[in-house]
Amino acid sequence: MAAENFWKGLLALVLLTFNSSPEFNCNFNMSYIKVDANSDFSYHNLPYGVFSTPDNSRHRIGVAIGDHILDLSVVKHLFNGPELAARQDVFDQPTLNDFMGLGYDAWREARRYLQMFLSANESTLRDDVQLRSRAFVDQSFAVMHLPAEIGDYTDFYSSRDHATNVGIMFRGKENALMPNWLRLPVGYHGRASSLVVSGTPIRRPRGQMRPDPARAPVFGPSKQLDIELEMAFFVGPGNRLGEPIPVERAHEYIFGMVLMNDWSARDIQAWEYVPLGPFLGKNFGTTISPWVVPMEALMPFVEANPVQDPEPLPYLLHSDPYTFNINLFVSIKGVGMTKAASICESNFKYMYWTMKQQLAHHTVNGCNVRPGDLLASGTISGPEPKSFGSLLELSWRGSKMIDLGGGETRTFLKDGDEVTITGFCEGLGYRVGFGPCMGKILPALQQ
Amino acid sequence: MAAENFWKGLLALVLLTFNSSPEFNCNFNMSYIKVDANSDFSYHNLPYGVFSTPDNSRHRIGVAIGDHILDLSVVKHLFNGPELAARQDVFDQPTLNDFMGLGYDAWREARRYLQMFLSANESTLRDDVQLRSRAFVDQSFAVMHLPAEIGDYTDFYSSRDHATNVGIMFRGKENALMPNWLRLPVGYHGRASSLVVSGTPIRRPRGQMRPDPARAPVFGPSKQLDIELEMAFFVGPGNRLGEPIPVERAHEYIFGMVLMNDWSARDIQAWEYVPLGPFLGKNFGTTISPWVVPMEALMPFVEANPVQVIQADSCLSEPIELNRSYTACGGMTKAASICESNFKYMYWTMKQQLAHHTVNGCNVRPGDLLASGTISGPEPKSFGSLLELSWRGSKMIDLGGGETRTFLKDGDEVTITGFCEGLGYRVGFGPCMGKILPALQQ
Repeated sequence: MAAENFWKGLLALVLLTFNSSPEFNCNFNMSYIKVDANSDFSYHNLPYGVFSTPDNSRHRIGVAIGDHILDLSVVKHLFNGPELAARQDVFDQPTLNDFMGLGYDAWREARRYLQMFLSANESTLRDDVQLRSRAFVDQSFAVMHLPAEIGDYTDFYSSRDHATNVGIMFRGKENALMPNWLRLPVGYHGRASSLVVSGTPIRRPRGQMRPDPARAPVFGPSKQLDIELEMAFFVGPGNRLGEPIPVERAHEYIFGMVLMNDWSARDIQAWEYVPLGPFLGKNFGTTISPWVVPMEALMPFVEANPVQDPEPLPYLLHSDPYTFNINLFVSIKGVGMTKAASICESNFKYMYWTMKQQLAHHTVNGCNVRPGDLLASGTISGPEPKSFGSLLELSWRGSKMIDLGGGETRTFLKDGDEVTITGFCEGLGYRVGFGPCMGKILPALQQ
Repeated sequence: MAAENFWKGLLALVLLTFNSSPEFNCNFNMSYIKVDANSDFSYHNLPYGVFSTPDNSRHRIGVAIGDHILDLSVVKHLFNGPELAARQDVFDQPTLNDFMGLGYDAWREARRYLQMFLSANESTLRDDVQLRSRAFVDQSFAVMHLPAEIGDYTDFYSSRDHATNVGIMFRGKENALMPNWLRLPVGYHGRASSLVVSGTPIRRPRGQMRPDPARAPVFGPSKQLDIELEMAFFVGPGNRLGEPIPVERAHEYIFGMVLMNDWSARDIQAWEYVPLGPFLGKNFGTTISPWVVPMEALMPFVEANPVQVIQADSCLSEPIELNRSYTACGGMTKAASICESNFKYMYWTMKQQLAHHTVNGCNVRPGDLLASGTISGPEPKSFGSLLELSWRGSKMIDLGGGETRTFLKDGDEVTITGFCEGLGYRVGFGPCMGKILPALQQ
């Protein structure tokens, strides 16, 4: 009996140790909401989004868990900690902006409370049958919306492999990277109005192009419609105009991340972009995934930053790791195809500039960011061809065909193509993922 | 007696004719609010803005007339025409976005009603002592705010002289204009968050620069802080994503105009802008004037469009005189004029810019701001930036009294003003002013 008790006790001790160590927790033991091991929305994720339902068209804030959504507007009264007790109103809003604006301490507290309410060991929500039935919605029943009002959207260019590939294609190996690329995170202002949530159809743009420099420019549908695999982060609290965010504190201003497809029309872009940058070649549509994964859920997957040489100027220097191992996948399903074909497997860890550096650079001149602003990474490409994040690179400027299987090939997108970006961090027996970032191409307007 | 009556009658007829013809109307006869002949805010203007007062911090919509503001939130009940009767709520808003979104017919009706309420011949407001005392505010008592929530701000590059000057300075005469410049109105996305109303101080930005290409880049305060004389228009109703605005109807989407100073840090800009365009060299601050002049007030001053290499549809082009004065702190007691230009120098019209902006399906929304780009004319005195006026710092700009400039100094106060000159009246914009604060120390 004593020996049996000894081994029971040891087993309990071992299990307790596993349970209290985040990397080793298994889903089935954490929440009373069952979550499949392959689900993006494990107990360790708890991303925020904005949704509505057929029976209630009001946009409201939710947290994804398994196949469900926890409607925060229904359970806002449970958030009675020091940070949120007087600000429960943020969970009644149709966007996440106010919650984002509360800042780091409020986000941490919200996460603690969510982990508590969803815990298998906590009865507050688990056993309140009435509340529970109102609070949980099936994801398949919900329609997702843009998670925030985005006042400004900035797109960076921070993948060294991508910038090098593009440079080689257009300028040759010697002048691949511009002199400023390794010195500052190059970026430009994007168009906020055309940011759309996953699932929104994307119409092939028409525009002015000059395929033959010896002839006059022409007008018509883009023939070089492309994708761009990116990730983006939402800004939390803002800064005042004239008051930069120092790089060592930049993480306090970074709320969470989404996937992005920065659809591009290469022919329109090539003709317009000198000298003021991309414009109509980009602003006809940009898709983001609906669930904003908080940085705290990603921190277990942080890695050391890449070595930066030359060393950046002091305002960009930070030593704390802020590079994240996030697996990324791109697939295309064309008309007539029975299943999607994978065209890219990449990783967010390939970024050269970190999000902290991007945010510090963006505000160093006094530019003001606001809660809900979106800052995107730029196309993510790794060193291997299979990890290139655009058709431009995968087809090497149209010089080789991308194989979709079953006889289907691509250089650029065709009408009817459905492009899906997914991504997740792989934990032990669980995932922290983003949901889909999907768009289907509609034919250009006739006229 | 008969002869006297005849002459009286003839005189009355002549005066009536004058009064009904917009170009010949004199201010003193139009409104019971007295307006000076040199005022920007004549009866023929009636621009919209957003203001508050020390006794009432609520942002509300007003119309400028003479030295006064007519508070539309106080008189909204008077707008009972077919377009506005059911939408008087737009005049209760803290921004102009909803009113802008109503569209062309609503704007026309609002203007008719405003002209009526302010007319010397109309008693509705003129004789209602109570209402009148609540409805009119002294401009000197009011604080002006950004007139709209600006979801997106786009900056074009549509002055041929400016683009050519810059091209000559940086690439030489042969390659002055890029091949695309004469084919499409080149533009880029600006930063909406740093748009500020006239009077907001502008802090000299710090940033990364590479003054010497042979040495590593450096970090510090910009040494080439510049101005950019521009004008900008606000979008009215928006279009749906994927549905372009055709150029022949683009004017239905153009609400009105303001002055703009697109402050620029040339050294930061030069180092960062290849290949994705200007970024931190621009987004530390952009100033606009507070009063949005409706297009209908500008139409009397429209002129033929410039000849373009590519034949375009009929478009709008208004001559608007633009003056920029320049005050430095310390020694200068009055501002020195450094530029006199005109909006008529633009090569691309606002209709072309808006049609181009949406031709790929991009969606614009009420309150979006589209700026012209630096306005320069053919004469050096009409160049709209210090970069051009000093020809890249190679010559001094004379401010008088021994003061000279290449680029801005701390404490400099730059004021842009502008107006259309009618016969005995003006349609103007108010000031677009900013004062330079020193860069942060650290």
